[in-house]
Amino acid sequence: MTQSEDALSYPPIDPVNFDLIIVGTGLSESVIAAAASAVGKTVLHLDPNSFYGSHFASLSLDELTSYLNSHSLPTTSSTVAAATPNDDPDHVVVDLLQKPLYSDVEIVSRDSDDEDAKLLRENSRRFIVDLGGPRALFSADKSIDLLIKSGAAQYLEFKGIDASLAYQPNEGLANLPDSRGAIFRDKSLSLKEKNQLMRFFKLVQQHLANDGDQNESGEGRKILEEDLESPFVSFLDKMRLPPKIKSILLYAIAMVDYDQDNNEVCKDLLKTKDGIDRLAQYSSSVGRFPNAPGALLYPVYGEGELPQAFCRRAAVKGCIYVLRMPVIALLMDKVTGFYKGVRLASGQNLFSHQLVLDPSFTIPSPLPSFPRDFPNERLQMLSQRDIKGMVARGICITRSSIKTDVSNCSVVYPPRSLYPEQATSIRALQIGSNLAVCPAGTFVLYFSTLCNEADEGKKLVQAAINAYLTLPVTGNSESIPIVQNDSEDTKPSVLWSAFYIQNVTMSKFESISSSPTPDGNLNYNDLLDAAEKLFGQMYPEEEFFPKTTSPEDTVDDDDDDDHNGITLES
Amino acid sequence: MSLRRRTLLKVIVLGDSGVGKTSLMNQYVHKKFSQQYKATIGADFVTKELQIDDRLVTLQIWDTAGQERFQSLGVAFYRGADCCVLVYDVNVMKSFDTLDNWHDEFLRQANPADPRTFPFILLGNKIDIDGGNSRVVSEKKAKDWCASKGNIPYFETSAKEDYNVDAAFLSIAKTALANEHDQDIYFQAVPEPAPENEQRGGGCAC
Repeated sequence: MTQSEDALSYPPIDPVNFDLIIVGTGLSESVIAAAASAVGKTVLHLDPNSFYGSHFASLSLDELTSYLNSHSLPTTSSTVAAATPNDDPDHVVVDLLQKPLYSDVEIVSRDSDDEDAKLLRENSRRFIVDLGGPRALFSADKSIDLLIKSGAAQYLEFKGIDASLAYQPNEGLANLPDSRGAIFRDKSLSLKEKNQLMRFFKLVQQHLANDGDQNESGEGRKILEEDLESPFVSFLDKMRLPPKIKSILLYAIAMVDYDQDNNEVCKDLLKTKDGIDRLAQYSSSVGRFPNAPGALLYPVYGEGELPQAFCRRAAVKGCIYVLRMPVIALLMDKVTGFYKGVRLASGQNLFSHQLVLDPSFTIPSPLPSFPRDFPNERLQMLSQRDIKGMVARGICITRSSIKTDVSNCSVVYPPRSLYPEQATSIRALQIGSNLAVCPAGTFVLYFSTLCNEADEGKKLVQAAINAYLTLPVTGNSESIPIVQNDSEDTKPSVLWSAFYIQNVTMSKFESISSSPTPDGNLNYNDLLDAAEKLFGQMYPEEEFFPKTTSPEDTVDDDDDDDHNGITLES
Repeated sequence: MSLRRRTLLKVIVLGDSGVGKTSLMNQYVHKKFSQQYKATIGADFVTKELQIDDRLVTLQIWDTAGQERFQSLGVAFYRGADCCVLVYDVNVMKSFDTLDNWHDEFLRQANPADPRTFPFILLGNKIDIDGGNSRVVSEKKAKDWCASKGNIPYFETSAKEDYNVDAAFLSIAKTALANEHDQDIYFQAVPEPAPENEQRGGGCAC
């Protein structure tokens, strides 16, 4: 690295008082930075890393390896040096620790001297892999609206994902019957099944058209109120849809995580009304942009472009950016116990009304001894971070696509499709070189699934990988279910793979807030909702990205076709 | 092949805070100069159309948006640049000394296909100040630096007096245009997925 690695060599940050200090440049933090800057708040945005994106970064293979390895150490408070001296007359100084979100990291690279190893070595910087993958945007979801509303879209280019597939035990990777044309073309559906599916879609369409429409004209049918409140899976049964279609609707289109037919394992039983909403979002995404064939979009150069676009938006509105700058302590008022500011690794103290922290930050527990009457309950929330769950993630690099003639595709492996005990959906996303994330002739594949513990997560992800790929041989590959399929001998081999577990934590709000971790979803809706909510709690009077009318905001570009919209490379 | 018009050239302007990056851009596009310095807020990118030979070219010139102050420009800023404009202040030695850093940082982050031939251009700005008497970097020293980096073009400018600004940016456009050809080749090497043979039936499945 040619730029000074050493943050201590930076000039002091000026000014020292801000409305808001944000630590970490993940997607939620970056959205909040842009939103707060847009309404005139003074914002300082810091990141201890030398790159943008935190847990949403897109990195080279070497960077990803070293990031995962250095952020997955077992937590011990001894990882930090001696406690910061309590030398501040007005404040109690509380050390901040970084609690790793990642564990069980396994990275396997072809280390032989063959052609594959050479390709990786010579192109290591041409790979740009997402830390929080698989992720994509639905063409009609709120992330697109936010990108446009915030102005971040002008820095981004997208490409449509060519195919959305679902894994079926007896057929392999099947195209989703997600449009009329797709249903007609689908050779795996019988005429009866096609009719059932068409009737179902027609009912949903009529329901949506009549939703909010009070007068019941004879034409339009609505789904009964009692059905809307019932589980979607029961409603699909009631509609007598065959198991295969039911599975595709639930897991590949409504994107449900847990097995809806198994009450013991299901943590997210989907109601019919929510299922209908997700179907509606999916179908309005298909064909929203003429040059995106399916429902999904992916940013050129990877997911990490998204937080950077929001950060640039914030910078244009005056937000100050300092990378490579760790925050080492919080400054709390000696009397009230309220948050006052932060201490940087450079030793400088900076103050703000509000603080948003990357979800990996925590404080030592038990708390160090404070002055006798110091009200330390305000700090408890940071030390007692709820872990909501785990996401197992896998990344593979291959030299051929898992589906002939398709470069970019999403895949869902519904519960029980790979092996009987599979309780959750596994999602995969294959991205090819036309998205500028890998050299020509190579592919990056992402896998993820929710899990209760690391071994289960690893078993799930490996089963999905083994269905279509051959992993490099490692010493211990026992007890991984191998799914047989007819193309056994032509399965692409994996040049490089990474596996890791990521904790999902809750975001909380007070004058110190912590932003959400990447979740197990394919899209960004829940994360962006959380960011908007956090913004609303901090600034209840302010609008989340108000429409700008001032002339200096409109970039003086002429008849550019991407103005006020999303740029799609075809 | 692509919606992006191939005559759109992305130019990024780099250099220490206060050397006049935003002023040069404003002078070039808006013919305006503000005496008052404030660290860049509100500057994003400006565009200008140019006729070069028989081609109509749109220059999209990207400001650092102040993110250079703590060397915190992200890789997204550098991506897809067709030309990199380096700016220093002829009256401030440090702004000349850090050119090596900006040059290297650009190559590291933008990761161009061939770093040796990627087009840079150097502007020595603020030559108007004190009638040139406070100048600390000589033209020769700047030209030597340019020669050591593979003969990159050099212009001495004054954003305030509008001296040499148009000439510098015209040279930038020509340099970027020459490089753009190479970039096309790089992108064409990427295999496109098989075209959809059939028309997708309707947009909505419902």
